Amino acid sequence: MRSFSPVEGSPYLTDESKMTGSADMVYFPENEEDIIEVLGKCDILTISSMRTGVCGGCVPNGGSVLSMEKMNSIVGIGVDENGEFIRCLPAVTVNQIDSFLLSKQYDNIEEITPGAKEHFRNRDLFCPVDPTEMNGSIGGNVATNASGPRTFRYGPTRNRVRGLRVILSDGTLIDIKRGDHVAKNGILRIADRDVILPTYDFRKGIKNATGLMTSEDLDAVDLFIGSEGILGVITRVDVYLIPRYDLVSTIVFFPTDEDAYGFVKDIVSHKEMIEFLEFFDSGSVDLIRSCRKRDPLFVPIPEFPMEHCSAVFFDMANSNVHEKFGIISDLAQLHGSDISKSWCAHEARDRKELFAFRHSVPRAIFDYVASIKGKNPGMHKMGTDMSVPLDNLDEMVAYYHKVLKEHDLEYVMFGHIGNGHLHVEIILKDMDDMQRARHAYSLFAGKAMELGGSPSAEHGIGKIKNEYIEMMYGEKGVEEIRKVKSILDPQWKLNPGNMVVR
Amino acid sequence: MKYLVLVKQVPDTSLIRVDVNGNIIRTGVPSMLDPFSESAMRLANRMKKDGDVVVAVTMGPPQAGSALRRCFEIGADECYLLSDRDFAGADTFATSRTLVAFINRHCSDYDMILAGTLASDGGTSQVPAQISQMLDIRFISNVIKIDGSKAIQDMDSEYISVELPERCVMSVSLTMTDPFIPSIKGFLDSVDREMITLGRVDLGLGAYSVGTKGSKTHIVKVTVPTHKRDCRIIDKDPKAVAEHLKGVLDVQL
Repeated sequence: MRSFSPVEGSPYLTDESKMTGSADMVYFPENEEDIIEVLGKCDILTISSMRTGVCGGCVPNGGSVLSMEKMNSIVGIGVDENGEFIRCLPAVTVNQIDSFLLSKQYDNIEEITPGAKEHFRNRDLFCPVDPTEMNGSIGGNVATNASGPRTFRYGPTRNRVRGLRVILSDGTLIDIKRGDHVAKNGILRIADRDVILPTYDFRKGIKNATGLMTSEDLDAVDLFIGSEGILGVITRVDVYLIPRYDLVSTIVFFPTDEDAYGFVKDIVSHKEMIEFLEFFDSGSVDLIRSCRKRDPLFVPIPEFPMEHCSAVFFDMANSNVHEKFGIISDLAQLHGSDISKSWCAHEARDRKELFAFRHSVPRAIFDYVASIKGKNPGMHKMGTDMSVPLDNLDEMVAYYHKVLKEHDLEYVMFGHIGNGHLHVEIILKDMDDMQRARHAYSLFAGKAMELGGSPSAEHGIGKIKNEYIEMMYGEKGVEEIRKVKSILDPQWKLNPGNMVVR
Repeated sequence: MKYLVLVKQVPDTSLIRVDVNGNIIRTGVPSMLDPFSESAMRLANRMKKDGDVVVAVTMGPPQAGSALRRCFEIGADECYLLSDRDFAGADTFATSRTLVAFINRHCSDYDMILAGTLASDGGTSQVPAQISQMLDIRFISNVIKIDGSKAIQDMDSEYISVELPERCVMSVSLTMTDPFIPSIKGFLDSVDREMITLGRVDLGLGAYSVGTKGSKTHIVKVTVPTHKRDCRIIDKDPKAVAEHLKGVLDVQL
C-alpha cells in the first residue's frame, strides 16, 4: 500500500472550506485488508477521498489520513424488488457512474443478481444522487448524506442507498442491507454491540444534514449515512438507479422576488412533474447582468428578457409538455410573469446554457468579491445553509431581509427553494462587516430552528459548524451522539473533531 | 425568396468519445442540431424577410426529428425528415443524391440552399459542394455573413466578398452569435408544428441509389494518425544555431 508523509500545503490537508490541518502520514488503501491494517497501526485517522466538502470533514486533526481514492471501481450491478442498483467502491464519483451507465460496458463487472447485465443493457438508467459537485465521491456523498437540486424530487443520497459495507475502528467488517438491521425501542444491535440511539427529533420532514439520524426503529444503514465518518469506514455502497428520460429545462422570470415565491408555493403542489426548483433573487440576476456588461463571455446565455427580475429554474420530463406547461403558464401568469419572456430548452446544448447560468451565480459573487478586494483586503463572503419547512419560507425570507438590513450588510439570495433551502450570500467588505455578519448568521440559525428547520441543510457539520449540534439538539443531544460514537469507536480513532468533540 | 437549409443531427459535440477503433460512440450520448447547421439556420433566419420561406431538411433516423424541432424554434416555416431504413450507411455521395432527389421533387422552387461548412461528427465538407455540382449551380463556401447582396467568406487568412448569384449553395462557417433559447411559447409552438416525413419511394429513388448500396465509398478501417516527433539538440553558439535553423527551415518550407 502506498503512503507518504504530507508537507505543508499538501492538498491532503485541506478541502473546499480552505481549512487546513496536519497529519503525519497519508495512506492509500486498495482494499479492505489495507484499511484494517491501517486501522491497526493508527490512533487517529481521518477518512478522505475527493476532498470536495465545504466543512472541513476530511481535514485531518493530527494523526494520519486514510485516502480512499484508489478504491474507485464500479464492481457490480443487480436488480431487486426495489429496482436496479449499482455497487461502487467509495471513491467512485457521480460523473463516473453517469458515464458507466451511458457506455453500457458491463463486461468486467460482477452480476450480483442473475440476468442483471441483460436487464441493464435493455434500459437507460441514471443515478439521481445529485450533489452539485459531480466530482465528489459516492463514499463522501453517503458519509455526508449529500443533496443537491434533484433532492427536490428524489430526496438526498440517503433515499437511494440500498446497503453499505463498513469497517469499524477495531477492524470489524459489517455488511448491512436496508431492512435487515432495524432498531427496537431506540436500541440498534451492530457487531454484537447495543447502540443506544439519540432521542432528539431529527426533523426528517425537512432537508437536514445536522447530526446523526435517529428514530425508535432506525435502520442501521441510516445511522451510517450522514455520520461524517465518525462511526466507521465506508468501503462499499449499493445505490439504486432510476430510468433515464429526456428533460426540458425552463427559466421563468418574475417582476419581484415576492412574485417568484408565490409561484414556487403554488407549483410545489405539482411536485410530481418537477425535477428541481431553484430560485435567483433580483440581486443575483443583476449581478450576472453586470458581469456580462464587463465581460460578454462571462456566461453564454441570451440577454435577460426583463429588466430587474428574479428567476425560477426547473427541469421537467420532456413528455406531455402541453399539459405540464399549461399548468406552469397559468401559475406564472397569475404571479405576474410573461411566459413569452421565458427560456425553455430541450436540446443538450441549450440546457447546458441554463445550467451555466445557475453555476455562474456563485462565480459572479466570487468575482465581485475579488473585484473590490483591492480596495478592501479583508474582503470575504459568507454563505448560509439553512432550510425551513416551505410553509415558513416567507417568514424566514422576511427575517433574512430584516436582519441583514438592520446589520447594514450587502447580500444576494439564491438556491434550492423547492426544499425551503435558500443560500444567503453575504458580501463582506471589511472585518467590521464580518463581525456583524457572524452575529446575523447566528440569529438566522436560531430562527431556522425556531421555524422547524435546520441550520445545516446540506453542507453538514464537519469541523466548523459543531455549535449547531448543541443549538439544535441541546447538550443532551450532543452527549447522546458522543455515546453512539463511544460504543462503535471506543478510542475515538475515526475523524476526530467531526460533528462532536470528545 | 425561398431558403432551403440542409441540417444534420449529431451527438453532443462536447461529449463525443471515440472507441478503440476510432469510431464515434453514439450510444447514450444526447443528440443535438449540429452547431454548423445551427449557424446556417440562423443565417437563413436573419436573411428572411416578410413573405420569405425557410425550409429545413435532414436525412436521418426518426429521432433526428428533434433537430428539426430546434429548426422550428429558430424560425423554419417547413421541416422535412428524410427517413428510411434504406438510407442507412449512406456515404456523402449517396447522401447528396438523396437530398438532391428531395430538392428536385419537393423543393425545386428554392432560391438559395444553405448548409454547414462541415458536420461535427463526419467532418468531410463534401455534401454542400456535391449538391451544387448535381444541381449545376454556384457553390460559395465558408460564408460567415451576408452583407447586402454580397456573401463574406472566411478563407482563414483573408475575408473574400462575393456577389450573390441568383441561385447558389452556400456553406456556412461557425459564427459567434448570441445564444438563442426559445420561450415556453416558442417551445410549445415548435412541438405543435408538423414536420413531413418522406421515405425512399417518396423521393423516387431506387434501393440501389441510396444508403450503403448507393454509396461509392466504404469505410474499411479508421485509424488515428500518428506523428513521429523527435527532439534534436543544437549545441552551438547563437549565430551558428541561427544559421543551422535557417537551413532546416528552408528545406522544410
